Amino acid sequence: MNCTDQNPVPEAANFRRPAEVVMRLARMGSFHQTRLSFMRTLLRRLKNEQWTFDKPVWEIDGDGFGRAVYSVIGPVRTYSLVAFSHYLPDEMRSDRVIATAWDATFTLFDGVPTTADLDRLQQNVPKQEAGRISDSEISLSRANRSVRLWNHVIEKLSIGEQPDREQLESVGYLVRTTAVYGSGKFGAADRLTICDRPELSGPFQAELLSVWLTRAFAIDLVEHIAQSVGGVKATVIAPDLRKRIGVGNSTGLGMAPFLFNHPALINNWMMAREEAIARVRAVKEASAAEVAEFVTSFERAKFNFSNWNTVHEIQLKKLASLGDDLEKMSVYISTENLNHDCPWDRFYQWAEQHLSLEGQEQLVSLILEPYGELVDDLTGCMDADEHLSFIIDGSMTVAETLNILDLQCQWALSIDFDQPESQARFWYTSAEKLEPRVGERFNEPGEEYESPYGIGFYISQLNKTLLGWAETHSEQKPIADFLLAHPEHRHTLRRVQNLKNRPYAEVQDNVIASDMLPIDLLRCKLSFFGATKFDPRSDRWVRICMYQDCPHPDELLARKIPVLA
Amino acid sequence: MKQKQTLVEIEGYFRKVARAVGLHWGLAEEAGKAARWLAAFDLPGPELMLSHLQNIEGKDYEQFKPIIGSDSINAHWHTNDQTLCPIITGAAIADRAKLLLNGHTISLVSAAYPILLAATIGQATRSHNMVITISWANVKLSCYGNGIRIEGDRNDLWLDKTEFVSCQQTFDSLPEQLPSTLAYGIDSEVWKVVDELAFRTYAPATEESRAGAGAGLTDND
Repeated sequence: MNCTDQNPVPEAANFRRPAEVVMRLARMGSFHQTRLSFMRTLLRRLKNEQWTFDKPVWEIDGDGFGRAVYSVIGPVRTYSLVAFSHYLPDEMRSDRVIATAWDATFTLFDGVPTTADLDRLQQNVPKQEAGRISDSEISLSRANRSVRLWNHVIEKLSIGEQPDREQLESVGYLVRTTAVYGSGKFGAADRLTICDRPELSGPFQAELLSVWLTRAFAIDLVEHIAQSVGGVKATVIAPDLRKRIGVGNSTGLGMAPFLFNHPALINNWMMAREEAIARVRAVKEASAAEVAEFVTSFERAKFNFSNWNTVHEIQLKKLASLGDDLEKMSVYISTENLNHDCPWDRFYQWAEQHLSLEGQEQLVSLILEPYGELVDDLTGCMDADEHLSFIIDGSMTVAETLNILDLQCQWALSIDFDQPESQARFWYTSAEKLEPRVGERFNEPGEEYESPYGIGFYISQLNKTLLGWAETHSEQKPIADFLLAHPEHRHTLRRVQNLKNRPYAEVQDNVIASDMLPIDLLRCKLSFFGATKFDPRSDRWVRICMYQDCPHPDELLARKIPVLA
Repeated sequence: MKQKQTLVEIEGYFRKVARAVGLHWGLAEEAGKAARWLAAFDLPGPELMLSHLQNIEGKDYEQFKPIIGSDSINAHWHTNDQTLCPIITGAAIADRAKLLLNGHTISLVSAAYPILLAATIGQATRSHNMVITISWANVKLSCYGNGIRIEGDRNDLWLDKTEFVSCQQTFDSLPEQLPSTLAYGIDSEVWKVVDELAFRTYAPATEESRAGAGAGLTDND
């Protein structure tokens, strides 16, 4: 849909939060999943379109090693997760991108693989980056077992008992994915192959389908091994516990460059989310059913909070604030009118005055819950034709460019980059498995390899050079003339022009500052995926849970009816 | 032996190769897009782009940026003593694409790899919703938002240098060739060189950097 021309709620414009409020790291690092998150979009579609589910291949031995295939069958196409389970010595298990072996490896196959396909994939998928897949495959991924939970679950199931609930809930998953590659990486199908398919056109739908099926595989695998160990004594995981099992993910800096490299896409994600919040804030009267649904969602958020564990001091502080915020919100909900007089806008305005950023962002996620009909169409606005944002309009005048810098880049122009702490860090790609990293500019070698992500610094440089150039030339000159003289600013100018129509395209904070927290970037992106339980392990590494409490394939979808011969 | 590289890989690697030989990031991005654009038509853009980038390694931008003069359209663009770089010149023409709408012609004197020039301009035509025809030697390449048309001697497409190029907006034809591949077949030895050059943009691994990138705690839990 055209998201600008067909806006059904024009009055929402009055409630939209500006980019200078939203695109700050501290706020982005407090985002929670919403009903627009990509996992939820995916499961809504599978359910609404009545996809079916099948497990055509299960060639796993008693120790849990071998291969399996999980298929989802839609109205037009079928996609299959091809899973390989391997023996991995404990000392080789690492979630870092520099690892070379994993407990399980996967690819999402476009269709149903033949035995020949499986044999080909078995030669390549376990090698991950060192292997090669083809345009019949859409994603490539791997996962490691949770040492905290895996053996415990197998031991209990094999003797006919259920795993310890507390232990299971505190971890939340049996396996952690450590990388999910898509979009033409390592030979996989180019994004253009799938971007016209409605079911995969939204962001990360293929990757998240693969993760959802990985969750099912992990549960089948522990039950299979328990059965092999315990024989007739063994049991399966009880349904209420089974639902509490999600998929973990560990991620480091590898996820952050995406936010810098895809400004048009990030703008659309943010615009859709902010438009949804604005539409709900514009609601004048809430029905009893809508209020009841909000309260149910609020209670679920409190429950999730009680299960959200971390040992990292940054997150401990944030969780303490969120706990206080949830208490204050409870009081507000029980004492204030949630039905009349723009109740959600009043609630939000109160939150801005009384809650931390964690609480404010929790609230905006929750007020969307009762309003699927009002906001779910916005998921159709979250992809982007990035080509259109690449082309520079060289006919734009220098004056107009300076105007964009003045109106939309004050956040960058107000930073004193002469202070060492303002450029203390630099982003780069390591030769070691191409892992993106952040270095200390004044204490580490490698600055000459800097990736161009410190956009605030580059904007300040562009502004300075352009002002000087305009003095000796003319503000009415086309920016093309400036670019010919100053090619070093071409990358930045492209991004600055982009802001004219895409105000949420840039993170409006200094991402090379000494106090920058990369985990804020990671949390923002992961919240859009639909992740929960953000558990930082350092300022640049976070563990999360995906699909916890979501239905499993055999719950959401009917089993494919076998064709009788 | 040929191997398939996806368009995503072509673009990403050539952006890095262009950076590795000394182009600024903004121009390196143009080089990546141009290599991808040609590869999508199954034309040997990646191989020619590699040759060109190897030729300009370490050269001073000022030496071979186009000299346009005060009348940026009607004068012949040239350099003082070098051939024009197709990426730098192509980007400069793409930046001025709207000026071509008025029926003007941009002419170039002595340009390297004119097919790369056409690609750098061509990938911009979709945004501007116009057709630009680039002519050199005995060949004409018209760039549409969604396709190309080649007229004349196709052997001249691959020239490494030509004395005269003209670029103008055209109206009276339709594309004859649409993008045909999402995975381009390239000689393995050539790709090895691409890979080695791209690798130069990565920082050598050190214990310090390795330690700073991970969980800081065990991640085997």
